[in-house]
Amino acid sequence: MTAIDQIAPRRSFAAGPFIDRYYGVGVSTLSVVLFLLLWEFAAEWNWINVRFTSQPSQVYRAAVVIFQTSAFYHHAWVSFSEFALGFGLALVVSIPVGLVLGTSRSIRLFVEPPLMALYTAPRLALLPILIVWLGIGMASKVAVVFLGAVFPIIVNTIAGVRNADQRLLLAARSFGANKIDIFLKVLIPGSLPAILMGVRLGIGRGLLSVIVGEMFVSEAGIGYQLMTYGQGMHMNNLLVYAFVVSIFGYGLTISVRNLEDHVRSWRPAS
Amino acid sequence: MSQIEIRDVAIEYKKPKSEESFVAIQGVSLSIEKGSFVTIVGSSGCGKSTLLLALAGLIECSRGSIRVEGKDVTGPGKDRAMVFQDASLLPWRSVHGNVRFALELQRWKRDDIDERAARFVRMVGLGNFADYHPHQLSGGMRQRVNIARALAVDPQVLLMDEPFGALDAQTREVMGDELLRIWERDKKTAVFVTHSIDEAIFLGDRVVVMGRNPGHIRDVVEIDLPRPRTAAMLDSPSFIEYRRKLRDYISADMQALHMVEDIA
Repeated sequence: MTAIDQIAPRRSFAAGPFIDRYYGVGVSTLSVVLFLLLWEFAAEWNWINVRFTSQPSQVYRAAVVIFQTSAFYHHAWVSFSEFALGFGLALVVSIPVGLVLGTSRSIRLFVEPPLMALYTAPRLALLPILIVWLGIGMASKVAVVFLGAVFPIIVNTIAGVRNADQRLLLAARSFGANKIDIFLKVLIPGSLPAILMGVRLGIGRGLLSVIVGEMFVSEAGIGYQLMTYGQGMHMNNLLVYAFVVSIFGYGLTISVRNLEDHVRSWRPAS
Repeated sequence: MSQIEIRDVAIEYKKPKSEESFVAIQGVSLSIEKGSFVTIVGSSGCGKSTLLLALAGLIECSRGSIRVEGKDVTGPGKDRAMVFQDASLLPWRSVHGNVRFALELQRWKRDDIDERAARFVRMVGLGNFADYHPHQLSGGMRQRVNIARALAVDPQVLLMDEPFGALDAQTREVMGDELLRIWERDKKTAVFVTHSIDEAIFLGDRVVVMGRNPGHIRDVVEIDLPRPRTAAMLDSPSFIEYRRKLRDYISADMQALHMVEDIA
């Protein structure tokens, strides 16, 4: 390790380890607090129309009420299970598919055109077809979440496998590694960071899919509630639901990012 | 019969995206005795690494044969282990885990693996760094891990492809000493590729000099220096004589190359 490596990762000058750790959190929190305050008082002093924009204090009061109703938990459960099923299915399918496509050139060449078409196409455009096929119940939403999440994970897994360090493969072969050894001990651990990045992208797309799917046509779920409140101009309730979705997505994304950081810890920061 | 018999070996590579092939080495014959330390030196492009990879069974010969202990080399085998240049360690595994890796691949008994890996990590002087990851180590330490990994699987022949090529000059000398110290213990047959003439003389019982276009063996020089070798020998008259002789071979090779380029 050279002297440059020692200094380079430091971001701020004056800060010690304690301040360094809390500095980022502090600045981010400050930004959120300032925004909420501005919003609250802008509404209070009639700079903005509360009818259209609501107000943090009103949203808070609405949240207290909503969280005490069983309807909320029903809708949240419906959305969550649609998301979890679709996403779980996507995980199970995409990682093995990505690993195989990353290793085999001919299969990749064969499958890549339709795969890329589906990856870049707006999958929500397929929603009407999915509803015709699968109905307006959970199945169509599970399908659209699956379609949203599966491609980023496949594409990133392929990239992870293809970027595998040839020198490591050669070293493994020199010690007599067979194909399975190479998969389990070199390719999979080596592409884990890329796979997790795909998972993180997939979470965002999957969440978007479930909400939009429910907004489009359904009988229950958070997206359904968002649509209903929107049409009735119930801004407070609408924002409570929107907030719940954001928190869920944010929490999940942050956990995967932490996992990514953990998995990457064997690499020098770059 | 010698432990390693290389007979009239030629290796051709297919050039990518064309029908032409490129002859990396041709007409290479060499016998290596059990327990000897053979170094291969030559300018870049002389096919010295190609020859080593063929010995490891990672490249096929287009012609000729390579035999180790009388058996044809058809692929990697437990009788040979390779020490690569820098960056062939799994970055996500610790020092201990990287040594384990080779033992796992060769299906050593689970109970033995941990103990054996730890022993070889200690042997190369990294006992206190067993839990470190490669990016936390210096280049010299990483190469110690590489050596420990190759020795742990208890090969008959140790193949080394410019293992100290990425190190600075001081570390390189220390590593050379260290390698000899380890080698003297059980004298496994060692084949060591380098582009450093001094390193080749210092380490080797015999120095194989290779030339290019296509890669071939120009000469095999017996190094008649006593062991253990010491840094003081670098300035001895016979060392200087060997150095002069080898340098002449290699600079002649380089000049021939420049002339060809001038004509072209």
